[in-house]
Amino acid sequence: MKKVFKKIFITAFVIFLLMQLYQPARNFDYGQVSVAHFTKTYAVPENVETILRTSCYDCHSNNTNYPSYSNIQPIRLFMDSHINEGKENLNFSEWGNYSSRKQRSKLNEISKQIEDGEMPLASYTLIHRNATLTTAQKEEVTDWIDKMKDSLSSKH
Amino acid sequence: MKSIIKLSIILLIFTFASCKENKSESNKEGAAIESTQADKEGQLYSCPMHPEVHGKQGEVCSVCGMKLTEPVTQAAAAPEKVKVQAEPLSKSSFSIDGILNNYLKLKNALANDDSKEAANAAKELNVTLTNLKSDKIEAKFKKEYADIAEDAKEHAEHIGDNPGKIEHQREHFAMLSTDVNDLIKIFGTDKKIYRDYCPMYDQGKSGYWISETKEIKNPYYGSEMLTCGGITNEW
Repeated sequence: MKKVFKKIFITAFVIFLLMQLYQPARNFDYGQVSVAHFTKTYAVPENVETILRTSCYDCHSNNTNYPSYSNIQPIRLFMDSHINEGKENLNFSEWGNYSSRKQRSKLNEISKQIEDGEMPLASYTLIHRNATLTTAQKEEVTDWIDKMKDSLSSKH
Repeated sequence: MKSIIKLSIILLIFTFASCKENKSESNKEGAAIESTQADKEGQLYSCPMHPEVHGKQGEVCSVCGMKLTEPVTQAAAAPEKVKVQAEPLSKSSFSIDGILNNYLKLKNALANDDSKEAANAAKELNVTLTNLKSDKIEAKFKKEYADIAEDAKEHAEHIGDNPGKIEHQREHFAMLSTDVNDLIKIFGTDKKIYRDYCPMYDQGKSGYWISETKEIKNPYYGSEMLTCGGITNEW
């Protein structure tokens, strides 16, 4: 019986080690902020930009600030799947490539998701404690977005 | 051996954490409305049940006697007469009736507070949008149609993916309604339809919807305030 357990654990450990060999390309822009980036489309105030950077960009831009344990598989796989999903729904690095209709929709959504506390995700803030938004921070972002939205819709 | 146990614990935490859902914050809108009441003098208020009745703060509705509590936004303050819409911009034979039918089904599901049915209708709408061929559209409207369709598809997906979260579905429905309204403006329809507006939803910013009936059935509040709203346009 003991032997069987030992075998299982050894196999599991070997699989775990082999998994470490898989290190796909990182979501990292090497300091090259894309021309279509959110901050190049709008004049984003510094306080809002800081909040976006600490609480959103890791999953919603082409530049993730990877923690050290991201080197371990399968943590990395889990992270990458989140990042891909996040970028598909909203990518601040691609903002300028969105149609103006899509931009308006996304602004709406960002503000609603933050207001309702749906974003940043609980699984993210569990580890990234500083990404949790206080009520004041939420308001800073949503107030600015609402102002942006109004100025955009008056142009149409 | 130890590292495996550690790792599996970490993994467990991750999976559980990602399944957890944040409960939405307490009603913020109420607070926002109160604060605007305080800082705006000369602000008009309307009856929560009869948005067309306006008056000063503290007065009561001439129809039902309720206190006028809803701050009137600018759009509602100048009550527009029902506009009968002009001819559609596009002369092509492209028809949006499929989209419209799915949309109306979704609208009725939300008015009935049926989140699951709304999700199903949104999925149908998504299929319709995916399969609809745009080659009949004139070149000058192609780009605009593509933008609208892409946006509408995203909203339909969100509504379809969130049965049980009716507030979230309604947020996307509001944005989807803008898309559908723009489609009707460009391509027109043979159906008799109305554009309705609820001044209470989203502080009067986005509470529009398209309806096939003259009777008001509010998809943003459902049974809570089914008859709140008025017609702004008709086709």
